[in-house]
Amino acid sequence: MKKVIISVLGHDRPGILAATTQVLYEQGCNLENVSQTILQSEFAGVFIASMPDDLTVEKLNQQLENALGALNLYVFAKPVRVDIPIYDAPGSEPFVITTRGPDRKGLVAGITSVIARFGVNVTNLSAVFKGGDDPNQNIMIYEVDIPWRIDQKTFQKELREKATHLGLDISIQHRKIFEAINRI
Amino acid sequence: MLTEREIISTLEMLENEHLDVRTVTLGISLIDCVGHNLETLKNNIYRKITQTAKKLVQTCDEIGEKFGIPVVNKRIAVSPVAIIGAAFSSSELVRVAHTMNRAAADVGVDFIGGFTALVEKGIARGDRALIESIPHALAETDRVCASVNVASTKAGINMDAVYLMGKTIKEAASLSADRDGIACAKLCVFANIPQDIPFMAGAYLGIGESDAVINVGVSGPGVVKNAIDRALKADSALDLGQISEIIKTTAYKVTKVGELIGREVAESLNIKFGVVDLSLAPTPNVGDSVGEIFQSLGLKSIGVPGTTAALALLNDAVKKGGAFASSNVGGLSGAFIPVSEDLNISEAVAAGYLSLEKLEAITSVCSVGLDMVAIPGDTSAETIAAIIADEMAIGVINRKTTATRLIPVPGKKAGDSAYFGGLLGQSVIMSVNNGLGDNRFIRQGGLIPAPIHSLNN
Repeated sequence: MKKVIISVLGHDRPGILAATTQVLYEQGCNLENVSQTILQSEFAGVFIASMPDDLTVEKLNQQLENALGALNLYVFAKPVRVDIPIYDAPGSEPFVITTRGPDRKGLVAGITSVIARFGVNVTNLSAVFKGGDDPNQNIMIYEVDIPWRIDQKTFQKELREKATHLGLDISIQHRKIFEAINRI
Repeated sequence: MLTEREIISTLEMLENEHLDVRTVTLGISLIDCVGHNLETLKNNIYRKITQTAKKLVQTCDEIGEKFGIPVVNKRIAVSPVAIIGAAFSSSELVRVAHTMNRAAADVGVDFIGGFTALVEKGIARGDRALIESIPHALAETDRVCASVNVASTKAGINMDAVYLMGKTIKEAASLSADRDGIACAKLCVFANIPQDIPFMAGAYLGIGESDAVINVGVSGPGVVKNAIDRALKADSALDLGQISEIIKTTAYKVTKVGELIGREVAESLNIKFGVVDLSLAPTPNVGDSVGEIFQSLGLKSIGVPGTTAALALLNDAVKKGGAFASSNVGGLSGAFIPVSEDLNISEAVAAGYLSLEKLEAITSVCSVGLDMVAIPGDTSAETIAAIIADEMAIGVINRKTTATRLIPVPGKKAGDSAYFGGLLGQSVIMSVNNGLGDNRFIRQGGLIPAPIHSLNN
């Protein structure tokens, strides 16, 4: 069974999901995963589907472009490689890194450079920079898996130093605390 | 995936509303330390405490850092010393207190509780020796805390013990006269004392407990106050039922935090987890006050008419939220109203809104009792005992824990200020009705019998 991953980008409006999935249905594809988000006014969706053996990715791309181009959407489909081993995550614990502080260029790049250098994997990131004085309007929330094997203290120290350098308040907390407080 | 709102609201509670874990208290049984001579006993006690608690402070700090929640105090509670040291004299038990103090200092905890006697029905030889040793033990040490249970719903009120405690408190105050009678700030007199309180000065490890246990005391008055303020700002027409719901939800969150931290510490130390005590415990800091909650609820100050009803609402909502959050709730579990430790409450005393009588009345609907109450230094032992007896009666009849922590401040009178420092705070000295007068009722002694459990009116 072949698999395909499709990304759809464009100005948000009703009907994007309907148009995309209608093409997939007509071409005999079966949806396995969908994730979509809206940043400001822009829609972004990612779809993974299995496709019939007689359908090529090129043909699917063409069909999607025909249908979604009319809605001014950008679409791209590519095959999912099943011959490459899946990223084998090391044993780790889930933490949440939150930063708050004035907006400026290079904040995400600065923080992620430290995160990447220690081999810490970001599993979810949401960031909002609206400017102004309200710290909650300029916030980055990284959900990360911190491997057990790395030096936790050095990682946290370097991350805090980077945040201070960037003028950010940072907190690094185990994910469980957020679950304990907010969920039954 | 966590939502942005979940994360931001959690950070708010931590950073701006003083959410923390007020204490992680390691209970240590000293039953196996009993020895036939004093040196053996002291060596056994020192070794048991320092070995069991060796990593307590470090572990609490590491786990506090991991979750971003500070564990403000790390403490130790031991088996009642009146039982462990029953064979020794009062002067020998003072030396045991010094050993406990040294062990506490060496493992880095600020208080160690368990210099305790349980005398609700009768005073055994060891109990009397311990009670007689309390003034010197507390005046000569910094970290040792004492408690004496003089009453229970099952046994009644041991009025001989109550009178003895009146005299003991007077002596403890005079021995620490240069520090406003601070020895008394480390001494609680209880009715229905629980075996698993993590909070000082009443913490001890009950004889029905295991060899070592981690109990946790959560905090959160600031979080509750802010939750009420936020809700009323969004909708000023909220009724008290809806406000109670908000307090309940907040108490749930606070309790979950305490249990999470407690279980992590317990697992890391390979010690059994005991209970979360979901008391709202204030500190002398602004924004960390139980007293301020009354103002958020619409009262001019704690102490004015309406206070008892407001406190009943608060205490009940806290218990409901906490009981849903954890199956292991224990200790005192209610709102504390320690006068000197809560800036807002001590201000209410200074402004004349809160009297000793009103304070006693509101203890009928909350934990713990007349806590950290500074009274004139010349208050007689009989009157102190009578105040204790009244508070014990509230606990015994209502089947709840009550306690007193009274400080007759030597050389000072009503309206003066007493300074205890740190978490113990400061307070205006409250006036006492019939402070010096005769009290034959107390001198009669004996046992006030246990109450009937039917005909409830």
